[in-house]
Amino acid sequence: MFLLLFVFSFVASSPIQDTVKLAEVEVYAPALDRFAQGQKVMSWTKQDLNNYQGRSLADILQEQSPVFVRQYGAGMIASPSFRGTSAGHTAVFWNGLPINSPSLGQSDLSILPISAVDQVSLQFGNAGALFGNEAIGGSIHLESGSSFGKGLEVGLMQQVGSFGLLNTHLTGGFSTQNFSSKTRIYRDFSKNNFSYQDLGRIRTPERKEDHAQFDQSGLVQDLSWNLNESNQLKAAFWWNKTTRKVQPVMGSNTQDEQEDQSIRAALDYFHFGKKSILNLKTGYVQDKMLFNESLNQTTQYFISGDWDQTFTEKWTAKTGIRYTLAVGELSTYTKDDSRIELYQSTKFKVSEGIAFSLNLRQLIYSGTFAPFTPNFGMDWSFWNNGSQSLQLKTSVGKGFKVPTLNDRFWNPGGNPDLKPEESLNGEIGLNWSGTGKITWKQGLTYYKMSVDNWIIWLPKGNVWTPENIKKVNNQGIEYQGNLAGDIGTWNWELTTSYTFSKAVTTQGTDENDQSVGKQLPYTPQHQANAKVRVEKAGFSSSLGTYFVGERAVTSDNPRMMRSFQLFNFGIGYDRLAIGKLHFPLSFQVNNILNTDYQVLYLRAMPGRSYQLNLSILL
Amino acid sequence: MKLKQLLWASALISVSFACSDNNDETPLGKYDNGILIMNEGNFGTNDGEVYHLNPNTEELLPNIFEAENLRPFAGLLEDIVLEADRMYLVANTGKVEIVNPADFKSLGAVSAELDQPRSLAVNGSKLFISDYGPYDASYATPDSYVAVVNGLDGGVVTKKIAVSSKPEDLYSYGNFIIVAGSEQDIIEIIDATQEAVTKTIALEASPMQFYAEDGVLWVYAVASDEVIIYTINLSSLTLGNTYTVPVANATNRIAFDGNDEMYILTSSGYPDYNDAVVTIDIEGNTATATELMTGSGFYGIGYDDDLNQIYLANANGFQGNGTITVLSETGTVIRTFDVGRGPSGFWVY
Repeated sequence: MFLLLFVFSFVASSPIQDTVKLAEVEVYAPALDRFAQGQKVMSWTKQDLNNYQGRSLADILQEQSPVFVRQYGAGMIASPSFRGTSAGHTAVFWNGLPINSPSLGQSDLSILPISAVDQVSLQFGNAGALFGNEAIGGSIHLESGSSFGKGLEVGLMQQVGSFGLLNTHLTGGFSTQNFSSKTRIYRDFSKNNFSYQDLGRIRTPERKEDHAQFDQSGLVQDLSWNLNESNQLKAAFWWNKTTRKVQPVMGSNTQDEQEDQSIRAALDYFHFGKKSILNLKTGYVQDKMLFNESLNQTTQYFISGDWDQTFTEKWTAKTGIRYTLAVGELSTYTKDDSRIELYQSTKFKVSEGIAFSLNLRQLIYSGTFAPFTPNFGMDWSFWNNGSQSLQLKTSVGKGFKVPTLNDRFWNPGGNPDLKPEESLNGEIGLNWSGTGKITWKQGLTYYKMSVDNWIIWLPKGNVWTPENIKKVNNQGIEYQGNLAGDIGTWNWELTTSYTFSKAVTTQGTDENDQSVGKQLPYTPQHQANAKVRVEKAGFSSSLGTYFVGERAVTSDNPRMMRSFQLFNFGIGYDRLAIGKLHFPLSFQVNNILNTDYQVLYLRAMPGRSYQLNLSILL
Repeated sequence: MKLKQLLWASALISVSFACSDNNDETPLGKYDNGILIMNEGNFGTNDGEVYHLNPNTEELLPNIFEAENLRPFAGLLEDIVLEADRMYLVANTGKVEIVNPADFKSLGAVSAELDQPRSLAVNGSKLFISDYGPYDASYATPDSYVAVVNGLDGGVVTKKIAVSSKPEDLYSYGNFIIVAGSEQDIIEIIDATQEAVTKTIALEASPMQFYAEDGVLWVYAVASDEVIIYTINLSSLTLGNTYTVPVANATNRIAFDGNDEMYILTSSGYPDYNDAVVTIDIEGNTATATELMTGSGFYGIGYDDDLNQIYLANANGFQGNGTITVLSETGTVIRTFDVGRGPSGFWVY
């Protein structure tokens, strides 16, 4: 914790004496919720992210959000499930570029390290209009950036821990008032040689995992220039390479190896007008996946432009267009897909307390029209007595998923006639916040959603082929709470969340399908987490827990997996300094009670582990 | 309603007791009677299992391996072999579990050194296990073998005898192991003492399954548009008769009725994906094929020669549990019921 990227957050929070305009647009990142009225959005603070240095997006989502993460082992593939939807129903963005693989239609969260980004936000529910393809269950937004006027900043972090964990992160930044650069280099390594009870062997012996090694390296470069008072350029580059020995499912002796390599680049130009912002963007995302000796590669090229205008105090609008070329060079086919999408967002602020937004999007892929997606939302702060307030949020909208390149072109089996998946979502939420001796924020959201033309792959003779078959209805309740206060000189904070999710198949594959009326596989109905943190004079300590309820292995639910609850503990001190050098120190224990658990059937997970974090910051 | 079910249940129990009382020549265990249903399980989930069915009472016991051993089977169940008073459960995920056929309690295992085992044969005190070997870069299996284990209750692999790619069924006779070499359309004969291939017999189709009856070994072999059934003379280990039947798209799934008739599954594949049950009847020197039933998702076939019923398994797309349809010899549906994931075959006592 309290690691390097941290320097950045310190300074970012202090007031900057600059021209008014530039102070506002520091490094400009369009706010996620500018047109997201009525939608549930959450972001982590710098502090939260600092606690997850050396870990992946999968870990923070699992431990500190209502999202369920399907983990195939320690450091292995991890895919998100928002509100009971599948991994392919989550759009993932990095600096505004959609980075889901166009061939798989999803992202592996285990190889998106937290240390490579500065901000993580989640948006829940359909947002096809705001974010486009695959934003059905929700979307994940990652941002990196550098800030101006900080001079030279350097940091080194070293982590050592159980199961051969050895992480090294190096950060260097330099900035003036009009130019800034930040470079990160990291290597995360773990043998993952944890002990587990091998249920796949006679007499279920305790064994050491010997095939789950994780080795990841990466480089992130962020650059920003203020060309003049009204023009800004921002560039970001991210190279990440992960080599893994794929942890076998218990009972199998597979020795698979997987290497994932991604190159992502984004270049933004912002023009700040009197009452408008013009953004031109180009991007490049290449993913190479080598599974044993089989190579799958996809490349996406993006070019987009949008214009964000503030007409009056009440009316704001944004109009944009994006062109995407996705080129797939897979082991069994080579195909490309060009996409063009038009989007329009309008916000009408009736008064201080009430605002409406209307978002629209139309995407066309390879000449086919995806479903037109409108979204309408409202935020209404209807009660405020000075120290307490109540806010109502409600929205209704559509979402869609274009069939992936593999769905359409995989040879054999790809089905070029697939229709896009289509979803409809409505939600209503109430937020209660208060200030005083204790400050709090409590939120309750009810959502209801249906996904139609859900694509699943079915075996047909010797060949598997995808079809638009299923229809799924999801509904649930999400609670999120935060309480903070102080006892004497100690500050404390308690965050809690609980999710109830019912995701039921309403239309199955055929008359034999026993899944109709039952909960989707690997979709817990109950999930909860809580964390308490205390802090005083640079010393801090936290205890967190998360609970994942029973979930079924298959869609007809005959085999249920046990619920589990894990506890994590952390302690740190960040005021150790010699001259200008700072030495933040922290220590962490994960799975304190050494609980034996599996997230997915027969995929062993590690028991108790320790991790020591040492940093040097200049 | 509940009372009625209870009454039925007790009636069924007394019937089954009555049956076992009548059949007092061999004391029967819980599972070494009736029908065992193999559920292969789903790739990546390793949820293969065995169900036990009493075909007279229709009583079905699920997941009997896990129920008796308090651990999951944890593998993809490829084959069941009953030899030397032991039941060998062959998982193509790289192991063989050995249980007592009466109570399904674990007796041993072959847990290491295997890649993709397919079947097993017992010769003397040795186990011979056919194995595809590992995949190479292009998903071919050039290093297939037959593994040797000394000891009927499993243990370590002491030798891997190289054989042609993708060996399937094995048959043990005298001092020999007969291997179905499915990819190169050959039969390979292993000398069980020397642990080496000593003879090969070329075929015109891909051998899948052996079936022995009255000193004759039948070889079921498939080509793209025909099925060829060979006989092998066991005393000379030479080919005997050949029956060619024009059945297209035959799969490796076959059941024998013990009376020169067999039931096979066919699957047309892309683009129509029609599956069918075809019967092949051998009379004198000719074999004739008749299509009994068509559908989709057929994944296993069995035959109960006590009740003269056909058992047809449907994997239901591996999305959840599979379904068994019981058919009469003429193809009339008698009943259907759910079993485990990916039902793929039957062991009929």
